[in-house]
Amino acid sequence: MPKQKILVVDDDANLVQALRLRLLANDFDIAVACDGYAAVATAQKERPDLIILDLGLPAGDGFVVLDRLRNRANLVGVPVIVLSARDPETSEERALMAGATAYFQKPADNDELLQVIRVSLPPTAQTANA
Amino acid sequence: MTPTQPQTQVLLVEDNPGDADLVRLRLVEGQSQAKVHCVNRLSDALASLAKEQPALVLLDLNLPDSHGAETFRKIMKQSPNVPIVVLSGQDDEALAINAVHNGVQDYLVKGGFSGKQLERAIRYAVERQALLSALENTRKEQLEFKNRLLSHVSHELRTPLTCIHQYISLIADGLSGPTTVDQRDHLKIAMQGVSQLQAMIRDLLEASRAEAGKLRVEPRCINLGDLVQQAVAMMRPAALRKAIGLGAGIDADIPLVFADPDRVLEVLINLIDNAIKFTPPDGSILVNARMVETDPETVYVSVSDTGCGITPDARPLIFERLYQQPGPVDSTVRMGLGLGLFISRELIRIQNGRIWFSSEPALGSIFTFTLPVYSLAKLLAPVVIHQEKIRPSFVLIRVELTPLATTPRGKRKEVALQCLETLRRCVFQDKDLVLPPMGATGSAETFFVVASTDLERSTVMITRIREQLERIPGVNTKGALNLSASPIDPVPEAGPLTQQVQTLAAQVGASILQSMSGKQMYAKSKQTSDAN
Repeated sequence: MPKQKILVVDDDANLVQALRLRLLANDFDIAVACDGYAAVATAQKERPDLIILDLGLPAGDGFVVLDRLRNRANLVGVPVIVLSARDPETSEERALMAGATAYFQKPADNDELLQVIRVSLPPTAQTANA
Repeated sequence: MTPTQPQTQVLLVEDNPGDADLVRLRLVEGQSQAKVHCVNRLSDALASLAKEQPALVLLDLNLPDSHGAETFRKIMKQSPNVPIVVLSGQDDEALAINAVHNGVQDYLVKGGFSGKQLERAIRYAVERQALLSALENTRKEQLEFKNRLLSHVSHELRTPLTCIHQYISLIADGLSGPTTVDQRDHLKIAMQGVSQLQAMIRDLLEASRAEAGKLRVEPRCINLGDLVQQAVAMMRPAALRKAIGLGAGIDADIPLVFADPDRVLEVLINLIDNAIKFTPPDGSILVNARMVETDPETVYVSVSDTGCGITPDARPLIFERLYQQPGPVDSTVRMGLGLGLFISRELIRIQNGRIWFSSEPALGSIFTFTLPVYSLAKLLAPVVIHQEKIRPSFVLIRVELTPLATTPRGKRKEVALQCLETLRRCVFQDKDLVLPPMGATGSAETFFVVASTDLERSTVMITRIREQLERIPGVNTKGALNLSASPIDPVPEAGPLTQQVQTLAAQVGASILQSMSGKQMYAKSKQTSDAN
């Protein structure tokens, strides 16, 4: 059975690497992007099952990315978990309104993050990438 | 400096035409360029100020519609930035000082000043007021800057902290290769440091929000007893590590309170954490929740310890920012930023409670806070009374939504709000009451409706509510929506109507508490980092 694929979008290469290792260890396939423009392009190309998105990004911040994802028919159903250092008081509601599935402030608890990733992912049977 | 600026607008409030003319004459003598607009009542003055702000108000205190200090207070309330010079018929030093203390710029006695003096008084008053306004603006700008700086700094600190957190946990979880027991122990200590830094960053932001009056609370109906039990359970490991006993004493008849459960838990944890810090090994800490006979609208919660107490000179400072109690603290206790009690005080204050302490050096301290009882009777009165009588029968409908467990955390609040809206549309506004959300925000939501109907007819209502709720996206997951109805005992038709409503409210409250008890109402809290 093909593994489910997660796209990690963050401009901090060290953090991306740590997340990559953790997600690989939990049996996911990983794609990465380090700016807003690449996020949308990579999502189009790789068709991830879920996206982990930072908000402060070069070339189109997280809100721009959320907006673009919501306007692509083939990406509109992909759950997006925001993982940002920004204060939830100012950004959480805005991100959820823009279509994010969940909001985590950095540093996030890994177990909690993985749990939300699992409940947000569509059931595996339907996602077998053709 | 030139005399009064050309076209200085002065509002003269004076009911005596002779006195008004005298003021005009003096201004001409003093070669003032002021343009005077005269009104003779306070109400006219307030109306004029609402339309146009003059450079200054010359004010007689005794007018047909206002007397004494009240006159300048009302003008100031309406136009806080317009300077006031009082013109009084009496040479009353006490009144003059009182006026100046309250922000009046000058106090002149009628007939006691020359044209030159009046012109100068006006000019200086305008200058002083401008300075005050500039100072106030600077103060606001500085506060705003400080808040922006803190927000920026906390964001920037979190980025490297996240990196440290991620790589420590990678190693600790064995994802970078095998580790020894010693190494894992060391990583655990490093991780505690990360948690502490994280808590400090959060406190910094919270304190700046508290200062700006921007702390947010989301009050719900909560069972304070459960919350105290939860706080005690969370803090027990930390207390045990120091061999300190930690217990709870909760009165049996604590009614529902209206407060934000996460915020109350935050305060409880802060108080217990402080108690642990200042209590020596083998001491004890007790958390109490109780009612006081003379104050039925309030629940009292106290945290008492057998610690070192608070020295008299520290007492006035204890709730201030950055205050840290020096004392016999052993090396295993790490101090925070000294913001905890400051934030706690603000959290309790904005939830309409009070917080204070009493302390005996070497015997211990007791911190007490209050929260308002959720007044069910007040809300019930308009819906349960019909034609001067209490309606004949009531049913308590309980709606429990467990599908929220599969809804991502961030979306739960949104779904819960939609459910509440839907419930309100399903009932009769004039005879049924939808209560606010109950218990803590967690994976389950429980709502209650007090319906003026009987058990038989309530089934129709339940069917309607179920149909409507299942249409909400995020709720329609198979069968995890629980609805039940229980009858409320009829209230005897005796005594005053308000008394009957009170009795009914007490019964409804007891039913709700009974229905909530034994259930896991409180989700694992977000704020466990302090407890480590």
